[in-house]
Amino acid sequence: MTDLLRETWFLSRDRAALVWLLIALISASCAVAFGLGEVASQRATIDRLRAADAVERDYMAEQYRDWGSAGYYTFHLTYDPPSDFAFAALGQRDSSPWKHRIRMLALEGQIYETDAANPDFALTGRFDYAFVVAMLAPLFLILLLHDLKARERAFGRFELLEASASGLWRVRAGLRFAALGIALLLPLILAGSATGSGVAFLFLAGAAVLLHLLFWWAVVAWTNRRGWTASVNLTALFGAWLVLAVVAPAGIKLAVDTAIEIPDGGDIILTQREAVNDAWDLPVSSTMEPFLERHPAWSDHATIESTFEWKWYYAFQQVGDQNVEALSIAYREGRDRRDRLSSILSWLTPPAKLERVFESLANTDVEATRLYENRVRAYHAQLRTFYYPKLFLDAPFTDEALSERPVYVQLR
Amino acid sequence: MEAALAANSITVKRSGQTVLNDVSFQVAAGDVYALLGGNGAGKSTTLLTFLGFLSPDTGTVEVLGDDVGANLKDVRLKIAYLPEAATLYPHLNAYENISYFLSLAKATADQGAIDAALDRVSLKEGARSNRLDTYSKGMRQKVAIALALLRDAPVLLLDEPTSGLDPVAIDEFNALVRSLAEEKRTVLMVTHDVYGACQIADRIGLLKDGELVGAFDRPQSGQIDTEQVHAAFAGRSGS
Ligand SMILES: Nc1ncnc2c1ncn2[C@@H]1O[C@H](COP(=O)(O)OP(=O)(O)O)[C@@H](O)[C@H]1O
Ligand SMILES: [Mg+2]
Repeated sequence: MTDLLRETWFLSRDRAALVWLLIALISASCAVAFGLGEVASQRATIDRLRAADAVERDYMAEQYRDWGSAGYYTFHLTYDPPSDFAFAALGQRDSSPWKHRIRMLALEGQIYETDAANPDFALTGRFDYAFVVAMLAPLFLILLLHDLKARERAFGRFELLEASASGLWRVRAGLRFAALGIALLLPLILAGSATGSGVAFLFLAGAAVLLHLLFWWAVVAWTNRRGWTASVNLTALFGAWLVLAVVAPAGIKLAVDTAIEIPDGGDIILTQREAVNDAWDLPVSSTMEPFLERHPAWSDHATIESTFEWKWYYAFQQVGDQNVEALSIAYREGRDRRDRLSSILSWLTPPAKLERVFESLANTDVEATRLYENRVRAYHAQLRTFYYPKLFLDAPFTDEALSERPVYVQLR
Repeated sequence: MEAALAANSITVKRSGQTVLNDVSFQVAAGDVYALLGGNGAGKSTTLLTFLGFLSPDTGTVEVLGDDVGANLKDVRLKIAYLPEAATLYPHLNAYENISYFLSLAKATADQGAIDAALDRVSLKEGARSNRLDTYSKGMRQKVAIALALLRDAPVLLLDEPTSGLDPVAIDEFNALVRSLAEEKRTVLMVTHDVYGACQIADRIGLLKDGELVGAFDRPQSGQIDTEQVHAAFAGRSGS
């Protein structure tokens, strides 16, 4: 106890250490504040869009009084609200969409419209809390611990300290470690409690941060035991950081992208657009046959008599989806395989692993993107299930029938 | 009487080089022993060996009858060590430095005791609450000496304790070391100051290139003959 008190006092007089701890606290706080702001703004955007969506749908319902036009002109909002913990790791929400306005038209192109390029599998993202604990925290720890013994050696105090007390270095390093842990975790715990993230989440996140720091402590302790000078220690540790936090993640991304080819999101849009455009000039049968193959229930109602009929139009939208199905599945499977491989390889670099853990806790990982896309597909399928009987059975357009049209709902 | 400190035919290598070669000497309890030698003779190495930071390749060192290698923790508790060119913490004042280092060694001293020790080394009262980076080299040395005194250890190992001190302070220090001997504390100090060593030592060992090449004992009355030691030190004649 007296050891702890004495060393706490000693740390409180170490201005350089205090400055680094303060910088760590400020970085973590800023990142948390930034994340909270981003989450709030995403939620506000969703609320605004939902309100606008309701108004617009009512307007369209008055404007277009037939099923075909209603389906054609009405947009439907889908959205994926951020989780309570998303403030800590914005993750894929930066590069993958979390809101789509979709129509009754061919769907796959609409999903990947905002995503003409491949999704970004960078293992480290932008400035958020996960970035601070994964990328910056190791640097803070290195700066706090690299000269623990070396400085004392350089000033001729090492033998005096070592002869006076045993176990001093462990106490000094442990205190700095604990202080850094508090500086980094305090903002997370405060924000997490305020947003109702749940004790289990905070516990897991905190444990992951501490495990990551423990890894770096082991690296620093290894260099400290060499008896090198402070500047040699710092150079070696900075090199280790560069390799593990910067070079390795970039190398892993390159390796994963090279090893697993995936189709371009833009190809899906293009292929689908061509399929839909070509349908205008093709004989009706080349649309209706593949359509009826999938939807035999409508075979008795599928004769097209005039030059334009909505059911033909929606059938070739559906066939457009059927045409890119293989491409879309290849795209999604490739993306999932890249994600799985990245997940395995990220064990090689603790900073990247920590970011992945945070994205998984925050529901901002590739898995969350996949789930959202599938919810959009399911909702679009509901729309088709709603419209097809109206179109193929020529049902009368009534407000009562229209009120049955499904609305996308997703709770936080 | 059993020796408080004993080096038994020790050979110490550093970075593969033999720095101490078959050195043997003993310091009786309550004696002041001065190890005299030029730069690089192996003086600091000898003290580090007594503290267990270096282990002899052959031979043994003992402190108060304990083998150093086998009882490192116990041995270190019995030693107050004044490092060469001791720099305590420059951002702390004299009181803070002393309290900190005493607490490390599980010793305590109240303000009065610390002031008494600082009086003994005659550190200006007005400076005691100032940070050590405002001190001269000699003032810093005085704080380190006061710290060694306050450790209340039976054995003191002092590495060039008078370096940086002005002549008046050196005289005061020499008187101080004599009074320590009267308190029955054992002092092993290393120095290249022939005059100072002769003034205070009960025994002088002359170290040259890692070998003990001479020894001089204090006569019944008076002190060791400076001329004689100086001649031996300068390499003109041994004894
Ligand atoms: N850390 C070290 N590593 C290797 N050799 C050293 C080290 N320190 C001192 N030496 C060598 O040991 C010899 C004795 O050094 P030292 O005991 O410090 O001499 P001094 O009598 O001046 O105190 C010198 O030759 C010196 O070069
Ligand atoms: Mg020396």
